[in-house]
Amino acid sequence: MGSTITEKILARAAGTDAVQAGDNLPARPDYMIAYDFPGYTDVMFRQMHDDFGIRTLSDPERYVIFIDHMLTKGNEKEQEVHQVTRDWCDFYGIELHEARGIGHQVMAELGYALPGTFLIHFDGHISGAGAFGALGWGVRRDLLEAWVSGQIFLDVPATTRFELDGEFAPGVDSRDLVHRIIADHGADGCAHQVMEYAGPGARAMSIDRRQGLCGMAMFTGAVSAVFEPDEKALAYANRVARKEFTPLLPDADAEYTAVHHYDLSTITPQVVLPGSARSAHTRSAAELTGTPVTKAFIGSCASGRIEDIRAAALVLDGRTVASGVELNVVPTSDAVHRQAEDEGLLDVLRKAGAQIARSSCDFCFGYQKPLQPDENCISTGVLNISGRMGSTAANIYMGSAYTVAASAVAGTITAAEEVSRS
Amino acid sequence: MSAARDYPPPPDLIEGRVAWVFGDDFDIDLVIGVENIKSYDAEFLRSKVMQAYDPTFADRVRPGDVIVGGRNFGYGHPHYPPMVALRDLGIAAVLAESFSPGFWRGETYNGMPLLTVPGITDAVTTGDDVSVDWRKAAVTLADGARLHGTPPSDRVVRVIEAGGSLKLLLAEHSRV
Repeated sequence: MGSTITEKILARAAGTDAVQAGDNLPARPDYMIAYDFPGYTDVMFRQMHDDFGIRTLSDPERYVIFIDHMLTKGNEKEQEVHQVTRDWCDFYGIELHEARGIGHQVMAELGYALPGTFLIHFDGHISGAGAFGALGWGVRRDLLEAWVSGQIFLDVPATTRFELDGEFAPGVDSRDLVHRIIADHGADGCAHQVMEYAGPGARAMSIDRRQGLCGMAMFTGAVSAVFEPDEKALAYANRVARKEFTPLLPDADAEYTAVHHYDLSTITPQVVLPGSARSAHTRSAAELTGTPVTKAFIGSCASGRIEDIRAAALVLDGRTVASGVELNVVPTSDAVHRQAEDEGLLDVLRKAGAQIARSSCDFCFGYQKPLQPDENCISTGVLNISGRMGSTAANIYMGSAYTVAASAVAGTITAAEEVSRS
Repeated sequence: MSAARDYPPPPDLIEGRVAWVFGDDFDIDLVIGVENIKSYDAEFLRSKVMQAYDPTFADRVRPGDVIVGGRNFGYGHPHYPPMVALRDLGIAAVLAESFSPGFWRGETYNGMPLLTVPGITDAVTTGDDVSVDWRKAAVTLADGARLHGTPPSDRVVRVIEAGGSLKLLLAEHSRV
């Protein structure tokens, strides 16, 4: 019997010839990634130092820290939080990437997310690394296990394969696809599994779209998602790689729990109702037309990449954000910000009335400009649970950058195709 | 992550009652309410736990009681205080049709027995007596009927026996 991409990556990480779904074994991550956040990294560093007595790391290059949360108030508390992180990284010789953008994007730009590699983080959106044929797994507090032992015990996950054909229609992207998949297969449709994307539609999809798609894997119950690494992924990886890597493809006789087929040209704009991304909350954007919004947000680790900003600019060019609506656009990284500036996209957005903020995670978790009670926000953020972006009495709808931009113009939830016809 | 409690490992046989039966895709944050998910204060959590479902819950739960969930228990963006609130009362295990992976990993780290037991939601109602051999994921009901779930892996058994992953890791890797 052949192996899936995931089985091959974990076999490599476990230092063995082959593993099978269901095996429980320790695997050695290529990189162990975290962002600093009170109660997480500060506690873990203190545990590693005080409780475990670890004073030096044999391989500090496998530890990676980002500062991407709590960057926008500039107050003393922020400085204290980040100084603790700087001090620990200095002590252990760990590379710290500060304020360069959202870590789940910057890790790609800096060559950590490479085909065939195994990455872990306490945060599940590390799954976006799957765009490059890497396995990114959010392990919550078990990150400490890897920090102190160099390895982590895992159940090798089974895989559901998604064969994609066709290309997205105008005004539609991979954000719509992931919510369609959740609607079709349930919030536990891929529970404890990895989603493996392949086929002509996958190969035609841009890296940005793949990152957005893989980064949302947890909402199908999956532990991660991974694309078959192709020429696009290899071209990106070869440009940025910080170490050698071996791309891994699934065997033709690999065993899958299920194989689903999607024709991307049939996907339509989707919007998720406030509360959670569960399947019963997924609607065709058309069904929600007319729902008023006061805030619109394009950003987060699942959006805000150059293609998302191009999408917003396409919709907003020559139009203006509706009166009473605030559209905030946060590029996913400084590099994306510069590119969007160079392409003239940010000028288009500013002219339309959008506000452009420095890259960080702060909008998405309600730290920057928190929503007020009874506000309706349409967002490309990753999560729409009550209280996520501010008040627990605010409502967060989720959709693609196209849909958010179109809704900002209309002042009500609207798919981009409606705007382009008007 | 901070201010978590130190709970002892469960007994070999967990004996108690079903304290509550939740539905599918249950978001654990609702146990205390999304407004309260940042507190670890014991009295505060006791005053909030299960208020939306049963105001008598905190008074009637006894150590050894369990909660039961449907499919994909723990779905959402699980925070830790809701399970702290339940464990403070003595809730000793969660039995569910299936678990959401993020919740499963986070609470397994904390040493909570989370047992996947297909058929459990139809087999029990609130107040039923149950006994749970957690290593075997074997549940015995009041009428003697038995349900068999998926036993935890050897590693997870060791985590639970140690009273959580941190204690196991300290035993294995501490240089102090």
